[in-house]
Amino acid sequence: MARFLTETIGTLSDAGSLFVVAAGLTLVFGAMRVINLAHGTFYMYGAFAVTTFAGTASGLRFWVAVVVAALVVAALGAVVQLGVVRFVVGKEPLTQLVATFAVLYILADVALHLWGSGARSVSAPLGVSGTFTLAGAYLPVYDLVIIGTAVLVGLVLWLLLSHTSLGWMIRAAVDDPELLQSGGVNLRRLHLAVFATGALLAALAGAIVTPQISVAPGMDQSIIVSSLLVVVIGGLGSVVGTAFAALIIGIADTVGTLVDPTWASTFMYFAVILVLVVRPWGLFGAPER
Amino acid sequence: MKVVGNKRRVRSYLTALTVAALAATAGTAATVSAGASSGGTVTVGESTTLSGSIAELGQTGLQGVQFAINSINAHGGLLGKHINVVSADDAATPATGASNARNFILNDHAVAMFGPIVSSVAAAEEPVVTQYKVPIFFYISNDVALLTQDYTPYAFQVVPNTVMEPRAAADYLAHMVGKKKITIGTFAPNYSFGTSTVAGFIQALKDLHVNYKLVNQQFPPLEATNIAPYLSALVAAHPEYVFNAQFGGDLVTFSKQAAQYGFFKHTKVIAMYSRYPLQSLGAGAPAGAIGFDRAPFWALGKTGMNGTGMAAFINSFKAKYKQYPSAWAIMGYSAVQTWAYGVKKAGTFAGAKVSAALSGANVPTIRGTLNLRACDHQANVPEYVGTVSAKASAKFHLRLWDNVFVAQAKDIMLTCAQSKALRG
Amino acid sequence: MARTTSSDAAVVAALGVPAPAAPGSFASRLGRAAVLVAFVALVVMLGLTLAPANALELQYAVSLTLFAVATNLILGFGGLVSFGQGVFYGVGAYTVALGWMHHSLSFTEAMVLAPFFGAAAAIPLGMLALRTRRLYFSLLTLTLSQLAYVIAENQTNLTGGTNGVFGAMVPSWLLDPHTSFLFTVAIVAVAIAILWKIVHSPFGLVLRAIRDNRERVEALGVNVYAHELVAFVISAFFCSLAGSLFVVYSQSSYPEILNWTASGVPVFMAVIGGMYSFFGPVVGAFVYEFASHYLIEYTQDWQLVIGVVLLAIVLLRPDGLAGSLGSLRAWLRRRRPPVDGAPAAAAAAPESGGGPS
Repeated sequence: MARFLTETIGTLSDAGSLFVVAAGLTLVFGAMRVINLAHGTFYMYGAFAVTTFAGTASGLRFWVAVVVAALVVAALGAVVQLGVVRFVVGKEPLTQLVATFAVLYILADVALHLWGSGARSVSAPLGVSGTFTLAGAYLPVYDLVIIGTAVLVGLVLWLLLSHTSLGWMIRAAVDDPELLQSGGVNLRRLHLAVFATGALLAALAGAIVTPQISVAPGMDQSIIVSSLLVVVIGGLGSVVGTAFAALIIGIADTVGTLVDPTWASTFMYFAVILVLVVRPWGLFGAPER
Repeated sequence: MKVVGNKRRVRSYLTALTVAALAATAGTAATVSAGASSGGTVTVGESTTLSGSIAELGQTGLQGVQFAINSINAHGGLLGKHINVVSADDAATPATGASNARNFILNDHAVAMFGPIVSSVAAAEEPVVTQYKVPIFFYISNDVALLTQDYTPYAFQVVPNTVMEPRAAADYLAHMVGKKKITIGTFAPNYSFGTSTVAGFIQALKDLHVNYKLVNQQFPPLEATNIAPYLSALVAAHPEYVFNAQFGGDLVTFSKQAAQYGFFKHTKVIAMYSRYPLQSLGAGAPAGAIGFDRAPFWALGKTGMNGTGMAAFINSFKAKYKQYPSAWAIMGYSAVQTWAYGVKKAGTFAGAKVSAALSGANVPTIRGTLNLRACDHQANVPEYVGTVSAKASAKFHLRLWDNVFVAQAKDIMLTCAQSKALRG
Repeated sequence: MARTTSSDAAVVAALGVPAPAAPGSFASRLGRAAVLVAFVALVVMLGLTLAPANALELQYAVSLTLFAVATNLILGFGGLVSFGQGVFYGVGAYTVALGWMHHSLSFTEAMVLAPFFGAAAAIPLGMLALRTRRLYFSLLTLTLSQLAYVIAENQTNLTGGTNGVFGAMVPSWLLDPHTSFLFTVAIVAVAIAILWKIVHSPFGLVLRAIRDNRERVEALGVNVYAHELVAFVISAFFCSLAGSLFVVYSQSSYPEILNWTASGVPVFMAVIGGMYSFFGPVVGAFVYEFASHYLIEYTQDWQLVIGVVLLAIVLLRPDGLAGSLGSLRAWLRRRRPPVDGAPAAAAAAPESGGGPS
């Protein structure tokens, strides 16, 4: 039982942070039909920003740093939207992929100038740095922080998308942009808001996981792969699908390490391939027209 | 997520590819190496890891090498020549290391190579130095394969290898647990050094008749940013002892993360708790864990590691860098001394002659006299093991070790016959 | 392919595409051939006279042109944006390296087998990937690339794992930089000539027709899936060949040549050079390779520079450098009345089928 709990909490925590990143990616795709390869860059910037703002002090300052990091990166997202992404909305997938990959390259170099090439780390803030016991298992309190954040983000997104006019506009932005504009909605402003929110979610995930990882260059390219797997499994544009897919990836990863460590890292890729063979548009996605 | 391990290697892919341009200059270039340094200076090269989570080790090792070179230059140089060091970051990537080595040899006419940190990079540099007949001195990377499977007459290892180091740790553990049945987990970076060290540790436990049961083995990538899935699997298996072959920043991350699970309360971790992790962890260093190290400065007084000049080196290093030298710095210093001894003995910088002169030689270094045995060029260096102390040392103001144990080389080394058998 | 040829010719006729047998007048074909011969001669001369280190750099660039052109067969002419061609490049490289490491293949055997192994791997992978379309195809091929990467990284006993394979795998007769350079140029020239024939065959024309108007071609009774699969396998064959040439150059193989960023490189080369032109990727490969090589020497910020270049091209000139050249020529022709009465568009990019509509 203790063993099961340890694995479960670990898996949920991992899936939780992955969900928050991938939710941003899928949100942007849902509203703009753009796959942003620089999305992982926002995650990395969020993490690095926390190492800068939190300094060595923990406690309240850490939480302030998380919020500041997310907001600063959201602003960066807005700049990327205005400078690059707005020109590739509605273009061929190749154009979008190459343009956003170029952004990834450019911002990776900028990050080297800002934070150097070494690894950085942050300690978990007081109060959530310790251990709790449950049915004989010793578990990190901080895992609960990550899981809680993911649940909160999921709830807010769900409410936002299904119970507000903003959610309706985001869905209509792709289905029927003319109708939207005739209704007086400024599509460009809507795209800007959505893209900045996507960046904010990536940065929030990067910021919140800093006490559990070492922050280093290269995070951008590795997290974008995991998040792409998640959104592909879940179905591009579906937040609910993303939540399921993040869990699937997390479980595939954990089961992999239990079954055969040398093949563990391949499990999530096989999961993606399996899903795409059965449903080429993902679990909750819609077939491309 | 597993893919988080790609890190710098992904980024440096292009660097590796493009700089590797000098690759197959092979046959024609074999003549450029030895003795080609012009004027009053000769160049030596050090390619090592200067970025990422283990960068600290590369930097401090390079400091040791630079210190030794400065000392030689201050005493009139070598064979009357001034020594110049060129260095580059290999980003812990074999391909980058190989192309760095090639660049140093072809463009800078380096007559000797030092480093790297990572054994996989060392393995990639071996064919290069062999091709151009330039001696290389491994003082951090220590995979036993470097001197066995990948044997080349141009490689020398002045660091306890992946048979010696885990054997010393296993000796300490065997002494501690006696006949008691124990459960063990292992945790090591997923490349040649990690697998080789873990295999060495398990073999040593068998040889020592320790009554153990292996309950979990994890191999996260080197410099992984997120080890959570691997760690939770290890924690869930509840081992009483864990042999961890991570080092530098990776070991620091492991220790911080594992502490969040309360792991150290129930599990004794055996790992390379050398100066850097102990200093970084500070009060968070896991008291009671078993540390091993290749040349800990604090063990100096208690052991045979007291060659001429060690005390002076430690003091001047401390004066310059405001901290005590790591094992990597001490080993880097002795690696340069080894090369310089070979040059003096051979009377030339020519790689083939220097290598021949060093084979089987007894070299006086700050770590005492090192014998580079002729059969595989492994130096007879000891390994140090101790228990991480609960309180800071009064002298050094750091949490260091209690009960230091020195495993002498003769007790932990492969025999020449064993070493040659591994050559395959 | 043989099976589809006759029906392809019929489809080409039905589509009303100009017959491939006469792509321009005899004089213009002769002129183009002369330009090609002169270009190859220039490359060979450069390779023989340059210092060994630079000749090797050139050799690498030449091998990359094959990687880029082979990738562009499905990218530019097939409209399939694959971020997975690194898989086949890696199969080629690992065939040679592992043949040496496991003492199972001689260098020559491995070089011969490498492209066939790549093609064989492409059959199941292509069957799988081509079930998806457009963006999903890109993402699935990206996934396959990463899968190959983690397998190479973790199956240490088979592949050497993270360490990769380094050693004396290239025979000594091929170690001289000028010999290995000529060896590479010869193989790449023949391979690119074959790819040229394929692109300009009825099969190639149908492939372009599929890219431009899938539904219409399907309506003509063409098996689109089979055509795309054949193109995918051919591309893989030549990507693997390029990968085996990577070993001739680097004397090593390692997991990083398989991952998604590595797979992105030939795509970027095609985008820079112009993916709707047959030789665009060749130009792109030279530009990308030399730019990154010299940028690394002179600035830490090579990623930034390449990023800006990619961004500028994709936003301002989506048809790449070759497209820019075509527009320039078209502009010049508009200023001077055409002599032979050739339509400006055809003159601008004779081997192009134009961009996707």
